[in-house]
Amino acid sequence: MFRYLAGRLAQALLVLWAAYTVTFVILHVLPSDPVTLQLAAGGVDVSQLTPGQLHSMEARYGLDEPVLTQYFGRLWDALHLDFGMSLTQNVSVGTLVSDRLPSTIVLALVSVGLFLVFGVGLAYLASYVQWLPARVLLRRLPAVGISLPTFFVGLLLIQVFAFSLGWLPARGTEGWRSVVLPAVTLALPGSAMLAQVLIRSLGDTWQEPYIVTARAKGLSRWAVQLRHAFRNAALPALTLLGVLVGYTVTNAVVVETVFSRNGIGQLAQQAVLGQDVPVVQAVIVIAAAIFVAVNLVVDLLYSFLDPRVAHTARVT
Amino acid sequence: MAILWRRRNGEDAGGNTDGNTSGNNRSGGGHGWRAATVSLLTVAFLAACGGGDGGSGTNADNAQPVPGGRLKIAFWADFQGCIDPNQVYWIESRSIDRNFADSLTDQDPATGEIVPWLATSWTVSPDAREYTFTLRKGVTFSDGTPLDASAVKTAFDGVRDLGAKSTLGVTYLAGYESSTVVDPQTVKVNFKVPNAAFLQATSTTTLAVLSPATYKETAEARCAGKVIGSGQFVLDSYTAAKAARLSRRAGYAWPSALVKNKGDAYLDGIDVSYITEDSVRVGSLTTGTIDVAWPRLPITSADQEIIKAANGVIETRSLPGISAQIVPNVNRGGPLADLKVRQALYKAIDLKSYASTVYWDSYPVVKGPYDSTTPYAADLSAKLAHDPAGAAALLDSAGWAKGPDGYRYKDGRKLTLTYLITASTPGEQLLQDQLKKSGIDLQLKVVTSAQLTQLTTAGEFDLAGSYLTRGDPSVLGSTLDRAVTKNYATVYSQDDATAAEVSKLFARGLNTIDPAQRAAAYKDLQDYLIDHGVVFPTYDRVQVAGLSNKVHGFAWTSESFLRANDIWLSK
Repeated sequence: MFRYLAGRLAQALLVLWAAYTVTFVILHVLPSDPVTLQLAAGGVDVSQLTPGQLHSMEARYGLDEPVLTQYFGRLWDALHLDFGMSLTQNVSVGTLVSDRLPSTIVLALVSVGLFLVFGVGLAYLASYVQWLPARVLLRRLPAVGISLPTFFVGLLLIQVFAFSLGWLPARGTEGWRSVVLPAVTLALPGSAMLAQVLIRSLGDTWQEPYIVTARAKGLSRWAVQLRHAFRNAALPALTLLGVLVGYTVTNAVVVETVFSRNGIGQLAQQAVLGQDVPVVQAVIVIAAAIFVAVNLVVDLLYSFLDPRVAHTARVT
Repeated sequence: MAILWRRRNGEDAGGNTDGNTSGNNRSGGGHGWRAATVSLLTVAFLAACGGGDGGSGTNADNAQPVPGGRLKIAFWADFQGCIDPNQVYWIESRSIDRNFADSLTDQDPATGEIVPWLATSWTVSPDAREYTFTLRKGVTFSDGTPLDASAVKTAFDGVRDLGAKSTLGVTYLAGYESSTVVDPQTVKVNFKVPNAAFLQATSTTTLAVLSPATYKETAEARCAGKVIGSGQFVLDSYTAAKAARLSRRAGYAWPSALVKNKGDAYLDGIDVSYITEDSVRVGSLTTGTIDVAWPRLPITSADQEIIKAANGVIETRSLPGISAQIVPNVNRGGPLADLKVRQALYKAIDLKSYASTVYWDSYPVVKGPYDSTTPYAADLSAKLAHDPAGAAALLDSAGWAKGPDGYRYKDGRKLTLTYLITASTPGEQLLQDQLKKSGIDLQLKVVTSAQLTQLTTAGEFDLAGSYLTRGDPSVLGSTLDRAVTKNYATVYSQDDATAAEVSKLFARGLNTIDPAQRAAAYKDLQDYLIDHGVVFPTYDRVQVAGLSNKVHGFAWTSESFLRANDIWLSK
């Protein structure tokens, strides 16, 4: 078990390093003139600068050093969680991120909770119900959920629940009420996907011989689904859940823009538009870290739910 | 207690602004809009009062102002992330700045005239190189420091020291040599070369006078909010792209001559937020979550109807400065190197239908290189008139013959123009359609802003937008005068001979303080720019704000920013 864990941790660190490096390469090597771009991002009219001024500005941002020196210097700083100064917002990236991260984490956690409630609930019902029309309807629902664009759902919910009914705020990050609409918007496509996978694997599991055995013992459908079918069917859905949690960070870009929430997603969007390289870099590392952490947890849960996984890992 | 209060203001004061225009306003299209708004307000007021209840009943704002309440205003975005008035160009931030930072002078939005504010009077030497200001007595910054001649010197020196970090300051202070403290109430500003636009510049937020303590902070810290002004409000906090909070300053007694309220603000404070989605911003206004919706692009006519249906009010005013315009690349050897083709372009573009199609029926049609609210803006509508037959004749004589597919060809080459844009909007698509009718193939090349910087710098375009803006007509120099800037618009829009002439005309406008001579200089400049096909105006940039019916006493500054001194909220 320890060796399995260590292996997974090493893999996770490798992924983080790769994410950082790839971003660095894309942001620093591809554009022909990162200096101009970065100065322009900070609102400096580059054409007004004399070569001397330009050079001193480059020196201030550390852009006059060789790319490799820049890379290792920044990687070292990043390891200490120091991502430098934002080019457009005049504060350190650390301040920006610590200011924005909490609201995104709250949003992500609530929507993961909703994933589970909606997704598992729907799948459970769809597999349990036997009346054919209801069964068909429930099984088609996820497809509808997946095809609705997030921004559209968000705007629709705002129109209905914020503007027409006035039940919930349309924007902002204050109070639990402000989380409801964005979290529902964010959870909708994810829970639909989760439900789809779970319905499918529950369907498969119901065909297994051990289910027949369980039924033959005289257990009710409810008890069989709960005790025998669900635990086995949950494995593929669990993998998907890991991926979906990672997606909440990326989908937050749209949701936070629509709901005017000052979170990481909105920060990412602004940073990309404003070519704020240090911020983009930090956001990507954070998103990668969340992805990696969640998938690590999922993998560990996997071996807990299905001991064969850890054993296999030791063999190979 | 007092110390605590001061500290808080010292640390938090500041703002982030992001704007791209400033300017003088003068008559023109603006008047009709203002009149329309006033009558709308009147109707709303009369309806609300059931007709005549005290007061004259001619204007809602004659009602007795009620103090109290916080004005909640939502802008669309904050890309520059800076609140320091001296540095910021982002217009939304400058609207915030205007309410906590005062300037030496103010500019009358109706006439463009410069009127007293922190300076009670001034003299300008005939060669426009020496400006002497007499300062108002008893003015203090919100940290308690007196606003005297040495504070003004510190401020102007501070803006100069910002250099290129102050995109607008560079041109506002062009030729700045020094400031001299004559006595505590008198300061003299000296220029190495004539700068006739400087008096107007002293009315802008960019040259707002901040507390000497502010200039001890780094430029970044100032951007992030460490700025202290002498305004009617104090900046409590500013978080880039997220929020700003202003609160009323007790004991304020030095408003500009244009402000009715001579004392403390009516509002307890102002809460600024940013809402990206138009529909959410409008919905927030109509449901009362915010009091003012202030987007960058004009509120669509459909949304205006929604706001009016909720008893809201629409305020509009042209942003003074450069109109929305496109610059050609004449130095690439492309079709636009030929003046006849550029002239044909003017005739092929239908500005009237642009205004009514992209915006709405009564939207002002652009009349020249400047928006209608800019002082000395000339009406060049005749030169910009839509004339497809004229365009065809010019293209024929330039050797571009009509091919079977409707496009024009010369030596087997299609008349194709590449137009660099960052987003494809209805405006560009309409232009494409209009030019197609004259046989010109306008290729819209959508690129990221990073690519845009690269491609424009390399000159790889036929047409590109230009949007830098400022309050005095000299602002256009920031994008078109090679003596001032080396940006792509200057480098590629003119050949060397034209550039020399353009620089000469800009210098003429700055060499004299006589309004008649300045007007003549800028008229010649605008004629020259259009006659030689240096800029292609596309539309007048109108600032539209949606107000809830609670908001009274709304006022634009001459730069079409928010002035909250007279605003009060009805219960």
